[in-house]
Amino acid sequence: MILDSHRITTEPYYCAAGDEIALFAAAYAARMPMMLKGPTGCGKTRFIEYMAWRLGKPLITVACHEDMTASDLVGRFLLDANGTVWHDGPLTRAVRHGAICYLDEIVEARQDTTVVIHPLADDRRVLPLEKTGELITAHPDFHLVISYNPGYQSVLKDLKESTKQRFAAIQFLYPDRALETAIVAHEAGLSEDDAMRLVLVGEAARHLKGHGLDEGASTRMLIHAGQLIARGVAPAAACQVALILPLTDDPDLRDALTATVDACLR
Amino acid sequence: MSAEQTGQFASLERRLGGFVTALWDTNPRLQSMPVEPLAPPGRASFGHGVVRLPERFRGFTPAQATRLYHAAIAHAGSHIRFTETRFTQGSLKPVQVALISLIEDARVEHLAMRRYPGLRRLFLPFHVASPGSGGMAPALFARLARALIDPDYVDGDAWVEKGRAMFLAAADDWCSPAVSRSIGGLLGNDLGQMRVSFNARTYVVEPAYRDDNAGIWIATEPPPPDAASETWLQAATITPAETEPPRGPPDEADNQPANAARPAAATEDGSPPLASYPEWDHLIRQARPHWATIRAYPARAGRQEVIDEIIASHAPLAHRLAALIEHARVSRPRRLRRQAEGDTLDLDASIEAAIDLRAGLLPDPRIYSRMERRHRDLATLVLLDVSHSTNDRLPGSATSVLALERAAAALLGDAMAGLGDRFAMGAFCSNGRHDVRYSVIKAFDGSFDGAAKRRLAGLTGSLSTRLGAALRHASRALGQQAAYRRLLLVISDGEPSDIDVGDRRYLVEDARHAVQELSLGGIDVFCVGLDAGGDRYFGRIFGRHRIALIDRIERLPELLPLIYLRLTA
Repeated sequence: MILDSHRITTEPYYCAAGDEIALFAAAYAARMPMMLKGPTGCGKTRFIEYMAWRLGKPLITVACHEDMTASDLVGRFLLDANGTVWHDGPLTRAVRHGAICYLDEIVEARQDTTVVIHPLADDRRVLPLEKTGELITAHPDFHLVISYNPGYQSVLKDLKESTKQRFAAIQFLYPDRALETAIVAHEAGLSEDDAMRLVLVGEAARHLKGHGLDEGASTRMLIHAGQLIARGVAPAAACQVALILPLTDDPDLRDALTATVDACLR
Repeated sequence: MSAEQTGQFASLERRLGGFVTALWDTNPRLQSMPVEPLAPPGRASFGHGVVRLPERFRGFTPAQATRLYHAAIAHAGSHIRFTETRFTQGSLKPVQVALISLIEDARVEHLAMRRYPGLRRLFLPFHVASPGSGGMAPALFARLARALIDPDYVDGDAWVEKGRAMFLAAADDWCSPAVSRSIGGLLGNDLGQMRVSFNARTYVVEPAYRDDNAGIWIATEPPPPDAASETWLQAATITPAETEPPRGPPDEADNQPANAARPAAATEDGSPPLASYPEWDHLIRQARPHWATIRAYPARAGRQEVIDEIIASHAPLAHRLAALIEHARVSRPRRLRRQAEGDTLDLDASIEAAIDLRAGLLPDPRIYSRMERRHRDLATLVLLDVSHSTNDRLPGSATSVLALERAAAALLGDAMAGLGDRFAMGAFCSNGRHDVRYSVIKAFDGSFDGAAKRRLAGLTGSLSTRLGAALRHASRALGQQAAYRRLLLVISDGEPSDIDVGDRRYLVEDARHAVQELSLGGIDVFCVGLDAGGDRYFGRIFGRHRIALIDRIERLPELLPLIYLRLTA
């Protein structure tokens, strides 16, 4: 199969925080386009990998960026020895051969780029290739998923209403304390107690969102700190390296966070 | 920061604020309390959403004092979190009040340490009482305080040990303040029977990081006047309604010649109404038609050099901005040929490459063309709040909020003019609904030249903040601009208020309604709030994602152009 390299063969570690697995499975059964919302590092990408594995479908991920054009998604003509040859882009490949296409941080892409997904994201499920004149009907397995982190991007760069309203959405938040502890302990290879200390640090740092921090400490950051601790770094130093310094450049806030980390540790 | 300032409140304020917010998810206002040279040592105090800390702790090295402040704010935060209901004094004797407070201190600290075990390292070093401290009431209290928190401390005094035993035995009930009340009451009775005398007037809570306990009792005397009115935080709170239009003192930062302050007086009565706008009344859920009248107040001219000096004094920043601007500069959409990557094949390059291939030569791989669309089709109106509260000075400096707004607007104007973006600038204040004053600093068709700079330099802060009417008026000029994006950038220092409005919610809801109307009309409204604690009302008005709150107001001149560039990137 052409998409074999996109299949996920081993089960990715994912801890459900709610009924998101059942919700997504139901939406997949209806091939309803999905939007995963939530702050950075809370498990959106891991979730889609897990779902692709669970549903046994190949997953094509595209990290969107502001210079991305429609042809980066759809495809373009290339030149070979005998003339021009059409080359499918990642979206077209997913549509043709039946994969889950995950457009990560879709708002980063320009708005004229995102409209190419419109005919795929409603009941037509077709992709017109303007340059070849081809009209591709989506493979029955094709499923469109986007991630969307409202808030930190430019206000002038938001999804169009016409894009948003084509999707059903699942909201992701940082997991609750017990679950996050289990996740950090598993991913970093730490004891429950050490992981719980880190989760407390993370919760405290999240209180500062809007009071100096643009975004709280993500689960991913806590795992990073945990991985350092598991390799023998002292917890205070690990938090400094993996949490505090990446989070803020403000010296006062850094000191406040250092004092907070100290309070959280035994 | 000077050497004698380290370890003092002023140098630690932001750190402590971040610390208590991180620990307890609470955002109290912090204030300093003056320390008199001969008075008893000051203690922290909290209540009514304010934590007051002594401006310095005597007798501690800077490093110790820094830890002491952290311990004090962590302790006060523990009370805010765990002392959910305050005690009533009723028929309790002063000694019982002091002991109940002491047990309550230990209770909230234990609950805090259950969550944050590292706090023990912060609290313990300040517990220095020992059996050698003596047997008078203050010493016994300090010994008991230590016994309750330090498991390794051995005292030997029967009363202290009894208190510790009772407290530890109640460990399962620590979640309720009733524990403190019963144990404290019993220990107070014991002390009375031991004939140990207690003088409530001279008693000072030990150790030094603990607060004066006023915040955990329902005060029998009226609460202290909101000390906020004396500090810079006033800028962050509701603008006091003025009953008569005060002409703010001329801003020292721009050294106005005396004669420049006059023209305003002439317009005070005679300004013609420019337009009237409806106002949304959230109680009747209807707009009151023609409710607020906008009057044009020509901005009085200041000195252009003020603005030029501001731009010159921020030269490094202006330099950095110039680089960013260069990056974001307007360029017409154009087709780039012979690119290594692109949307479409460049026909000429493809033919050449095909010929090269047939001829057995290495073809040039740059065979694509693409469209560059970096065109910035954007119109921006910058709306400055120049209400009376903008005359407030920042703590420890002679700079007013208005002077910072002016500097920020000057730099932003310079940046926007450099970008070639279309922009206008206006300022507003209000004196009741019949007199919302709007001054044009720069119109869309004007240039950011000497006259505009003089008007910007001449701004003074006075009167109140009727935000909704100003938004609607600003949107009229902005709405006439044909642009893909229209952005209204509001710089405000506090909650909307006016002299003829008693209901705090009224103007907030009206402004919120105005923002929604504007957004329906295709105008993006973004607010830069000079009040770090303002997300309650700024968020309500503009929406949480459409505000940027600046907690260090002195950084505004630096941040505003960056916010603008980010918004329009």
